[in-house]
Amino acid sequence: MKKLIILFAALLVSAKAQTQATAPPPIVLSPVIPGDVNITAKTVSIDAFQPDFDVYSWNTFIALNWPVGPDGKTDPRQQIGARGDNDTVWEHYRDVRDVFLPNGKKPSWNGSPQEPPVPVKGFKKGMAVLSQVGKTPNVLTDASQPFNTGPLIDQNGNYTRFQILINKTMFDYILNNSLYSKAGQKVFTPPVNFTCGSLASGSKPAVEGAIMVKASWKVIDPSEQSQFHSEEVVVCSPPVKEGGKPVCELKTMGLVGLHIAHKTKSASQWLWSTFEHVDNAPTDADVRSGNLKPKYNFYNPKCTAQACPANAIPPRPWVPALVSSFHSQVVRNNMFNLPIYAASASARNGDAWKLLLGVNPNSVWRNYELISTMWPTDPGNCAAVPGDPLGAPAPTFMANTTLETYLQKSNPPQPNVSSQCIECHSNATMTVPVPSDFTYILQRAQ
Amino acid sequence: MSAALTGFLSSVLKPALDPVGLARTYYEFALTQVGVSAMSALMGAFRAIQTQPPQVIADTLLETSNSAPSDQAKIAQSIVAMWYLGAWYRPGQTGGGGFPPTPMQVISSEAYTNGLVWKVMQSHPMGFSPFTFGYWSQQPGPLSSFGVNTGSGGGQ
Repeated sequence: MKKLIILFAALLVSAKAQTQATAPPPIVLSPVIPGDVNITAKTVSIDAFQPDFDVYSWNTFIALNWPVGPDGKTDPRQQIGARGDNDTVWEHYRDVRDVFLPNGKKPSWNGSPQEPPVPVKGFKKGMAVLSQVGKTPNVLTDASQPFNTGPLIDQNGNYTRFQILINKTMFDYILNNSLYSKAGQKVFTPPVNFTCGSLASGSKPAVEGAIMVKASWKVIDPSEQSQFHSEEVVVCSPPVKEGGKPVCELKTMGLVGLHIAHKTKSASQWLWSTFEHVDNAPTDADVRSGNLKPKYNFYNPKCTAQACPANAIPPRPWVPALVSSFHSQVVRNNMFNLPIYAASASARNGDAWKLLLGVNPNSVWRNYELISTMWPTDPGNCAAVPGDPLGAPAPTFMANTTLETYLQKSNPPQPNVSSQCIECHSNATMTVPVPSDFTYILQRAQ
Repeated sequence: MSAALTGFLSSVLKPALDPVGLARTYYEFALTQVGVSAMSALMGAFRAIQTQPPQVIADTLLETSNSAPSDQAKIAQSIVAMWYLGAWYRPGQTGGGGFPPTPMQVISSEAYTNGLVWKVMQSHPMGFSPFTFGYWSQQPGPLSSFGVNTGSGGGQ
């Protein structure tokens, strides 16, 4: 607790330099990824702090979705969404499938992405390949394994696809410590301790810490491209029959969910920001009141609760290569125990949308909303406190309906049952029984 | 008052950044069980001695030297049990046959996982652990890292 007080006291001292009185600092259209949260609150309370974390999340979202130049790097001369949609910074991060290579081969930051396992008509070198149909990494490539968390199937019967990418800071740590292979992990001297981001201070420049991005994508019709950030990618599915070949096709995919995890000086348990497409699913309150949109990505407003039970895991068999007759009926359950979380996210969403629409009234980025930001209230200082390594997170539970669809138990949420980013990721290890600093990706090493 | 009764720092029981809010939950729960009058009397007794050292406050309110504690002291005992075990025991309730009493109610899953007993044990409850893989092969952190008042602090 002393560490917490010292840390936040330091943050509050820096906050005194801010001119802001009661509102958090504004969200900015900037290509610079914040190194950490900028605490400007003048009182120490969840209500006062949460807006600062949500501003951090939106600033991170904007910077990560900033347009890139031909070299794949941030192009500060452009504006996010100026052309409606744009290629983004995070899509030029390294996909974990290109980090943990067969036989533990050494990866490179600039290497070509792995090509699809079977020839695909229209494939161009450098195209993303999406194959993951469950959130957990071990369902990416192994079709015989059960999809532990269940697939998410949209209203057209198509399986949602997932992708995990890491920034160069995280990639370099993995590379420099040979954590990309089982052999390297075996001789590594723990602990795993990824780089912490930090704000600029005096003559010290800001540091970008380790960042993980998890994205969820749905198949969209080209006519829907004005509503989504979209990409033409190769979508691969496990063979329809045992012993067959994988099925890979070119598809236009729309972004429906984005998790951003950033390890920072104020968050040794990482900061967890989660965004969704605004048309993914209604809230449980919307369903109760009948305040429904005509159409959702993962909810049919015309289907009764009896015929389409909410958040039910799709029946087996799960065959992502085929169009399913089952459509997920997703409802966003309220898992927050304090009203500030939804209220702060809503206010920040309004601020961000105003900025984005100012750039271009047809910006696709206007269709994404922050759900919330999870942060540790007792974080330690880039190293967890022994008595409470979880750091007493706020909010206590949080879910993205596309990434934790079936972990939304509420009324009330339960530990180890309901979605909780920090608690779940604290269990992560490498391929050897060593904690892996809140990331499961190191388990993919071969 | 709870800090003195439990031996934990008040900043642990009711931190400024409090995502769970157990202090408020416990206060409201106890109030519904014992009533405003009894709770006010207990709080009044605390206020009369709140400048005393924490151990004196605890001994006085719990009537530790009294073999037949008053009803008010039994409420204080139930409050201690609530903080430590996350459950409410009817004031004065005793077990039998060598067994502890059965709680009237576990207050919530968060009350269960945040019971102070786990911190004193430098351990964790069954079914939930805040520690990372392999913690069992290492010495636990010091009691002070669990928020136990090992010095002269706390008490109010």
